[in-house]
Amino acid sequence: MIKHFLLTISLLLLLSCTKHYNAPVPNLKWDLFNSGSASPLANYTRDKMEGVYSISDGADAFGSSAALKWSYTANGKDTTYHLSMYCERQVVYIICEGRKSDSSILLNGYWRNLTNTETGVARFTISTTSGAKTLLDSSNRTTTSASVTIAGTFGDGDSNPDRPVRLQYNRPLYSATSLDIVAHRGGGRTSDLLPASENSVEIIKMASRFGATGIEIDVRFTSDGVPVLFHDESLNERLIQKNGMIGPIENYSYAQLNGLVRLINGEKIPTLREALDAVVYSTPLRYVWLDTKFKGSMQKERDIQVEYLQKAKAIGRNLNITIGIPDEQVLNNFVQLPNYAEIPSVCELTLADVLKTQAKIWAPRWTLGLQNDEVANTHAAGRKAFVWTLDVPENIQIYFNQGKFDGILSNYPSSVAFYYYAKQ
Amino acid sequence: MLNNKQLFLYVLLFLTFIKASGQNEESTLPERSKKYSFILYLSGGFGYFPSNSEAPAYLKPQLSRTNPVTTARIMWKPDHRLKAGFESGYMTFYSYELTDADGKKGKVSFDAIPLLLEFSVSVKKHFNLFAGPGFYILKTNLNYVGKTESSKVNPGWMAAAAYTKPITKEISLGAEAKWLYAAETKRGSFGLQLQLTWHFFRW
Repeated sequence: MIKHFLLTISLLLLLSCTKHYNAPVPNLKWDLFNSGSASPLANYTRDKMEGVYSISDGADAFGSSAALKWSYTANGKDTTYHLSMYCERQVVYIICEGRKSDSSILLNGYWRNLTNTETGVARFTISTTSGAKTLLDSSNRTTTSASVTIAGTFGDGDSNPDRPVRLQYNRPLYSATSLDIVAHRGGGRTSDLLPASENSVEIIKMASRFGATGIEIDVRFTSDGVPVLFHDESLNERLIQKNGMIGPIENYSYAQLNGLVRLINGEKIPTLREALDAVVYSTPLRYVWLDTKFKGSMQKERDIQVEYLQKAKAIGRNLNITIGIPDEQVLNNFVQLPNYAEIPSVCELTLADVLKTQAKIWAPRWTLGLQNDEVANTHAAGRKAFVWTLDVPENIQIYFNQGKFDGILSNYPSSVAFYYYAKQ
Repeated sequence: MLNNKQLFLYVLLFLTFIKASGQNEESTLPERSKKYSFILYLSGGFGYFPSNSEAPAYLKPQLSRTNPVTTARIMWKPDHRLKAGFESGYMTFYSYELTDADGKKGKVSFDAIPLLLEFSVSVKKHFNLFAGPGFYILKTNLNYVGKTESSKVNPGWMAAAAYTKPITKEISLGAEAKWLYAAETKRGSFGLQLQLTWHFFRW
């Protein structure tokens, strides 16, 4: 009897254990890169490095090609540039910073496979004879030499990188047609073990590095009427560090959330204003989709939309901010707004609802299919069509090659970026 | 958090346990009563929350892991070994006093109202085992820059072992050790309660 009881209790305890996964950004300390002799790269050097490269060594980890594109994060007067390598292998990317050292170019960063927890250090060198001379040549500001070769090593975790990787410049990035690459939840999901939590200011600042040209963020209100970003209806351990606070976010005041709640990676829940401040003043993002997760008056959301469209315009930013209409109830609230037909919005419902709201963007879910005729009609009416949420690389490829959508919302913008920029 | 496979395994283990205990005790138990009855169990005591991960370090928490647990249970005793019933009550999983980055003080109490379907089997004279699935109405009582109450419903279960000694024909007194588990807590609460049982209706 006692044996049975103890066995039951032991099994219960054993099976109650939960495995925790993580994929921290590895230690990027590289003495040569951090030495005083290394200096920032010039804009023309960065521009000339962009392109589609074929991968020889390291193809097993990264695929046979990668699209290389720079992005920036501004912090006041300081701006940090990152070179992202969107790899052919599903869903793998490399993110580096670059510096000039003597007559060579150094790239220091890390790689990540979003389908698992694989990550590690990645270091590259472009030597004088492998193209650095052309890239650093200030008299030639536009032409990239086909002879540019980026050679480096990569490793696992914090270990010293020792596996070779080699990229050879192939062709310029595709840009013949425009595509909005919209990152879900501000840049990606917390569950994908990204370096920052979803719907945080920090992930918004990283979104461009992941390949995004725009972001979708989730707007809710606190009990005292402050719009904040949070995806789920309730506070839960998927999104926040456990602290005994549960239930709808609308139950808590902003002071309570701001003082007590931290997202999984330690960030505070941002207000909508803090998020849009980051977009306007710190990133090159050109589109924001405000996913309306609340019920009730949308006037405050509209006022903030107007405020930040004006702020972006004032500093010469071409930024589009649309209010999301995900369901009938929000639609009914939206049409209560004064001059609603003039408000930039994105409607996820039917084409009839798009007409009713005069939404600038129609955004059907991907499971409804390519809908090429409907998309063509949308274009004919002067509207854009975005599709959500495309994550499986094969589906992204199908929608990209056979569809007519102007934008793709994805948790894996790096995969969308690869298919877009590598298009011939 | 429990998944369906684990839950199924737990139920299977419990049923196996009941079966095994029944086989062991079949010949030693006194002749069972043929009467039906309803039994009321009133329990009060304390629960211990075996984790400090719920009170994050950045709030400089002063955690209280031992908190009161009061429960009431009604079981239907049929003419066979397995009893079935329902348990509810009020408990605090944990509470803590906090200090935010600006030095402001506050308090969080994480409470619950269990709503549990239960099964019970007598394995020795006066010694009963209880277990069952159900839900917990979890409640946050927050006192920080104003008072806030917030709640959600969460799946869970319980398991308990009780020893009670009859003091009259209808009333017994004893103690119960129990594990009240709500998925949200990941750990649950180990409780020790004094228990009064009352066969308040027989037929």
